[in-house]
Amino acid sequence: MDKKNSPEAERELPPQTAHVSRRDLLYVIGATPALAGISRADAQPAASDQQATAQKAKFERKVFNDQQWRTVGVLCDLIIPADERSGSATQASVPEFIDDWIAFQKQENGSDHEEAQILGGLMWLDRESNARFDKSFADAAPDQQKQILDRVAWPAKAAPEDRVWVLFFNEFRDLTVSGFFSSKMGVADLPYLGNTAVTKWEGCPPKVWTIIEDRMKNGFNDITREARAAKS
Amino acid sequence: MAQANGSAKTYDVIIVGSGAGGGVAAHVLALAGAKICVLEAGAWFDCTRQSSMFGWPYNAPHRAAGSKEKPFGYFDATLEGGWRLDGEPYTMAPGSDWWWWRARMLGGRTNHYGRISLRMGPYDFKPLKRDGKGFDWPITYEDLAPYYDKAEQLIGVFGSQEGLENTPDGKFQPPPAPRGYERIIKIACDKLRIPCIPSRLAILTRPLNGRPACHYCQQCGRSCGVNANFNSPGVHIFPAMKTGNLEVRTNAMAREVTVGADGLATGVSYIDKKTRNDVTVRGKVVVLAASCCETARILLNSKSSQFPNGLANSSGLVGRYLMDTVGSDTGGFLPVLQDLPPFNEDGVGGMHLYMPWWLYQEQMAKKLPFARGYHIEIGGGRDQPSAGILNGSERYLGGGYGVELKQNLRKIYGCEVYFSGRGEMIPNDNSYCEIDPDTVDQWGIPVLRFHFKWSQDEILQAKHMQETFQEIIKTAGGEVIFKSDEKEEWGIAPGGKIIHEVGAARMGDNPKTSVLNPNCQAWDCKNLFITDAAPFTSNADKNPTLTITALGWRTSEYIVDQVKKMNVKV
Repeated sequence: MDKKNSPEAERELPPQTAHVSRRDLLYVIGATPALAGISRADAQPAASDQQATAQKAKFERKVFNDQQWRTVGVLCDLIIPADERSGSATQASVPEFIDDWIAFQKQENGSDHEEAQILGGLMWLDRESNARFDKSFADAAPDQQKQILDRVAWPAKAAPEDRVWVLFFNEFRDLTVSGFFSSKMGVADLPYLGNTAVTKWEGCPPKVWTIIEDRMKNGFNDITREARAAKS
Repeated sequence: MAQANGSAKTYDVIIVGSGAGGGVAAHVLALAGAKICVLEAGAWFDCTRQSSMFGWPYNAPHRAAGSKEKPFGYFDATLEGGWRLDGEPYTMAPGSDWWWWRARMLGGRTNHYGRISLRMGPYDFKPLKRDGKGFDWPITYEDLAPYYDKAEQLIGVFGSQEGLENTPDGKFQPPPAPRGYERIIKIACDKLRIPCIPSRLAILTRPLNGRPACHYCQQCGRSCGVNANFNSPGVHIFPAMKTGNLEVRTNAMAREVTVGADGLATGVSYIDKKTRNDVTVRGKVVVLAASCCETARILLNSKSSQFPNGLANSSGLVGRYLMDTVGSDTGGFLPVLQDLPPFNEDGVGGMHLYMPWWLYQEQMAKKLPFARGYHIEIGGGRDQPSAGILNGSERYLGGGYGVELKQNLRKIYGCEVYFSGRGEMIPNDNSYCEIDPDTVDQWGIPVLRFHFKWSQDEILQAKHMQETFQEIIKTAGGEVIFKSDEKEEWGIAPGGKIIHEVGAARMGDNPKTSVLNPNCQAWDCKNLFITDAAPFTSNADKNPTLTITALGWRTSEYIVDQVKKMNVKV
């Protein structure tokens, strides 16, 4: 595998070198041994930016040990798997983002609460998995992993005694989601179409405004209605 | 150790600071032919070479998140500075909370600021006459209007002609068309009879003086690589240098204004930060534009036998009546924005629509429990993805994971909107800065100690903001996603956090009750002037930079006039 296409290429570049023309890039997974078990079925070779590659910084874990790293990779990809539009969280280097983010926040806030919440939550996943399936979470079958997640992934439906694990999963989901959608892969997935020079600004595109006006007049299928109603 | 003498040269004018106030003074005075030395405490900065425009958060540390070092994120233009500055502490009196932003760089805060450019209105110059609170300015709107005209035409401001009460229109370039969520908010505001009009920002929508029009990448806060927004170096300093009349000394941290036996200013002593030498530069006129609090600090530290309480401080009012802007925020989720076809919603670096204060008559009729107004700033939509994007998605999607979550996340991207109230604070006796007798910074300069307190007028104004924002969100068919209540004093930001500090060396009609005369000339020292926001007598909800620019222009023309009439010798 070509090293220059590794996910680390996304990291730690000075802003002056950062401008890359919009391409639907997909990163292939790096040669990190801990991630070797993760499916690469959806990975595609990347057309890497030469400038970015030349200056890539080597990633070193600051928070997770090997066992936790495996669990984080599995959990990230359960939350954001590959689909027809883009790759998975690990393919977008989300575990690397999370490791770095937790260390960064700990330093910024002078508090280890977030780190403890994440590490404690990972322990709980293993504890549950060992008790029910006699395997660590990362070694459990996908169906088994999902059985555990289903307990905590839907806050309104979770048992009150699982509250602390619901909060852990909310936090972990946020880290995975924001890590993914702020990555190069995630930006192309959304897609975010800005950060580029526009010759003529025309405001909200007419075809978009037509949809909005129609919705305001005639209503629409709101995928958020149920969750918002359950919350309030 | 011998004191390094900057040079034997005596400049016509020494200007301390190169931001909005120092920049406009340098520009006007250099073009008038004066030989000028600008002292800037920070490093050189040229946005056309150093902007991080078009950088991607995924290539930046921590996805460009804000940090103590870079509170507005990794790409923010501020080279050195923030609410903390290494080696340059400030202190606070017990019970006071004050955030003091300092941007040490050529152009200061003009490199990263929001470019909001609102004229103060006629009421704003005479607030005491209108409602009995605070103080009146010694000048009127009509005095400043011609300078607002000039300032807008030089820096380039877009906007629209509206004719609204106490919201003067200006010399505007055409405004950019609104974004989708902004049009939705406008429809809600129309129903609530809240005016929602094109915003007024110092960003070019048409080429001006060799500067190109905006290319709508939304990242003005990073500074603009093509100079399409207002920044002091690109618009004031560099063109002024082309006259050959302007010399800029960077890394020059002003310490005190030196004074002669006749009580007139003779120059400025500063620390050359590179060599740590104390340098004195001589000038016939001194203009302070170091930013409101830093200017007060320099005056208070300029003690001599003639001026034992600091220069220009016979009134005892230097440092007094410090103000910031009242700020409070609310967020909303607009379901109607979900699952739209992809489109680029960047636009300029800031809102395309805003809501000026609209309840002047209700306030006059005593129908509101607070005295002064605020305007509403809006944001949101399909922002550039960076740290924190799509956080809290369980509030909208109920939770979950997997392919279904991933698909739904794409659909709710861009549905959030934000409202920020920016309101007028009334000056009070409890809000001021003074020299801390116990503390110095790394340059050996005594530091400021801040006292700060909001009054009920500001806190109840923040309550009104919260209630209004929530009403707009609900009227737009949205859901309030964050808000503040009475326990949090309605979310009112700590003093200084909005970075609109003004006052501290106010102008007035009477030397006993003001530091400066109506021309921003020190009553006690006639060759000393101030062109930053320290002269402000009140702090209308209109963001200060445009008024700093207009007032600084007026002061600079006055300096030229006084020199011509030989009232001030150069």
